[in-house]
Amino acid sequence: MKDFQLAWRNIWRNKRRTLITAASVFFAIFFALVMRSFQLGAYDRLFKNVIESYSGYLQLQHKDYSDEPVLDNSFVVDQYMLEQLKKDPNVRSVVPRLESFALAAAGSRTQGTIVMGIDPERENEVSDIIKRLVKFKLSPEVNEALKKEPIPDRTKKLIDVIGSESYASIGRMMLDLGISLEDTSSVLPIFRRQASFSNYYFNNTDTQCVIIGDGLSDYLKISVGDTLVLMGQGYHGTTAAGKYVVKGIVKLPTPDIDNIIVYIPINSARELYAAPGMATSAVFSLKSNSDKDVLLTAGRLKQIVSDPLVLKPWRELNALLVNQMEADSRSGMIMIGILYLVIAFGVFGTVLMMMAERRREFGMLISIGMQKRKLAKVVSLEILLLGFVGIIAGVIASLPVVIYGNIHPIRFTGEMARMYEDYGFEPVMPTLLPGIFYLWQIIVVLIILVIAITFSVRKIFRIKVISALRA
Amino acid sequence: MKVIEIKEVYKIYNETEIEVHAVNGVTLDFQEAEFATIVGPSGSGKTTLLNLLGGLDLPTSGQILIDGVDLSKLKSSALIDFRMKNIGFVFQAYNLIPVLTAKENVEFIMSLQKWIKKERDQRTFELLKSVGLSERANSRPAKMSGGQQQRIAVARALASRPKFVLADEPTANLDSKSATTLLEIMGKLNHEEKITFIFSTHDPRVVKMAHRVITLEDGKVVSDEVRE
Ligand SMILES: Nc1ncnc2c1ncn2[C@@H]1O[C@H](COP(=O)(O)OP(=O)(O)OP(=O)(O)O)[C@@H](O)[C@H]1O
Ligand SMILES: [Mg+2]
Repeated sequence: MKDFQLAWRNIWRNKRRTLITAASVFFAIFFALVMRSFQLGAYDRLFKNVIESYSGYLQLQHKDYSDEPVLDNSFVVDQYMLEQLKKDPNVRSVVPRLESFALAAAGSRTQGTIVMGIDPERENEVSDIIKRLVKFKLSPEVNEALKKEPIPDRTKKLIDVIGSESYASIGRMMLDLGISLEDTSSVLPIFRRQASFSNYYFNNTDTQCVIIGDGLSDYLKISVGDTLVLMGQGYHGTTAAGKYVVKGIVKLPTPDIDNIIVYIPINSARELYAAPGMATSAVFSLKSNSDKDVLLTAGRLKQIVSDPLVLKPWRELNALLVNQMEADSRSGMIMIGILYLVIAFGVFGTVLMMMAERRREFGMLISIGMQKRKLAKVVSLEILLLGFVGIIAGVIASLPVVIYGNIHPIRFTGEMARMYEDYGFEPVMPTLLPGIFYLWQIIVVLIILVIAITFSVRKIFRIKVISALRA
Repeated sequence: MKVIEIKEVYKIYNETEIEVHAVNGVTLDFQEAEFATIVGPSGSGKTTLLNLLGGLDLPTSGQILIDGVDLSKLKSSALIDFRMKNIGFVFQAYNLIPVLTAKENVEFIMSLQKWIKKERDQRTFELLKSVGLSERANSRPAKMSGGQQQRIAVARALASRPKFVLADEPTANLDSKSATTLLEIMGKLNHEEKITFIFSTHDPRVVKMAHRVITLEDGKVVSDEVRE
């Protein structure tokens, strides 16, 4: 008789108890996996969104820039080095930015602004400013016209509540107006006709023009075609001043930025700030953005980049977000931890009962000549089998849920959806497909099993045959 | 030929304040192929003596030699191996491994001893036939009567041809008919296999079937008579 066979038969001696124990392991594993998959999937999506809409996966900066983001901590874009960087197999292109401050004035109003010099063409490889251009604008006049159109009554009421608003995404506007996904296609042409807002992204040859935040345009009371003056301090204390035509208006999710942002072609920015050929950062557009490839690429590029320049991967560029995510992840892990604690007690209870019930049998087995070692092996196998039945069932059961959740992600509604749309993200939460986190859940259960095994093995080695037989 | 020598053996329990002399200076020999019973009133030390003989417990003083080997000189795992190779056990109840069939139970010790399958099968077949349970080979213990279970236990105890078999009140839980059948089977196997049997009992009908009757009182041998 093989030990394994003996163990397998033993666990089915008390079918009900075995099933309950295995089921508890099953549910723990199942819930932990599914929950984790949703949680990690949400983070994954969030980071993708943030990184791909602004920071990029890897940046080149002056080493002091992250501590003190000012123009004086900028660097001259060395064309030779740029060529070298681009030779890396994972680098598609390197997109420079020149960021500083200026006072913006139009008419009688002025506002302190962030001036972001971008490469009109290549910037689109690393961020999505172009997608944020305002596409629809509601205003009292537009609203009156809309109300005469065949749109749902509910929407007509909502239009009045909203008054004036700009939208960069159709989805966001439809959410605000209470129009369902199904109705969108029929209503959209009406909005296209009545509420479209025409503005443009930069041309390659554009100079002396800007794209500004919707909040800033409201405050300065300027729109497309109007002029704005930027005044500030240039590189090493020079005076910076220039006059620019507004070419486009973007709607950014964070009002703090929307109210003060001015995009400008990088060459115009360099001219304004008397910083020819300079940049405050350069964003890498990479072919593969996986964590591993980003780090490997950074490692390779380190050879080319020399002091005072440094490479900053996305984790460093978004430290605040990373921290928040880690705190959130910890709270999720604590919940799972509690779940596992409960399961551990369940497994322990079963093992304890099993050991107590079979004391006499163990006494008999040792009496007739079964070594304690062998007995311990059989009992360990039993506990492992008990756990594995649960683990395997849990993993298998989680797969369809996780895979389905990845292909057909949960779609948010209400506030959550608005928030996502504001940030320019599709309001969906796909699950993360099985990966390392699966392994971790399995390891945790294995640890519980190992503790239970250690306990029973010790107990077996301490058995006194005589007293066990009398039990 | 002497199989077991017991020399001046004492077993004193002092778990409580009062010392209990469970075995109080016993000296005895057992020969090859004996069929002996140990009798005596409750508490006279029968179980204690059998446990000492089986190496399940160690004497407070004195020596127990089995084929010349002093049990108290063996380390615990060596003692387990020694039991596996030399001693067969039949307990009062719960003898069998519940998840194994009758056949697998009989085979169990042979498997521990790593007998090859063919010899194992043959021996199991032969023993199941001897105890009259060939047709129950594939039944699990729970499906068998108490008497049948004890017969399987006897078959298992004998399977690997030990030097002797110890049975502490093997018939205690059986009705008299089953008890007699079990004893007849034990007697027959003792005769056929030339293996020493030592069993304790309270049942006078069982006592009658033994060839040697050792009577204990307060841990001492008060009589030792050989019949026929
Ligand atoms: N582990 C122990 N601790 C203390 N005293 C014990 C222990 N085992 C047995 N005894 C005592 O030793 C004496 C002999 O007990 P033992 O079980 O050997 O008697 P027995 O002849 O088998 O009795 P029975 O016919 O009732 O089975 C008894 O007084 C008993 O109380
Ligand atoms: Mg007794």
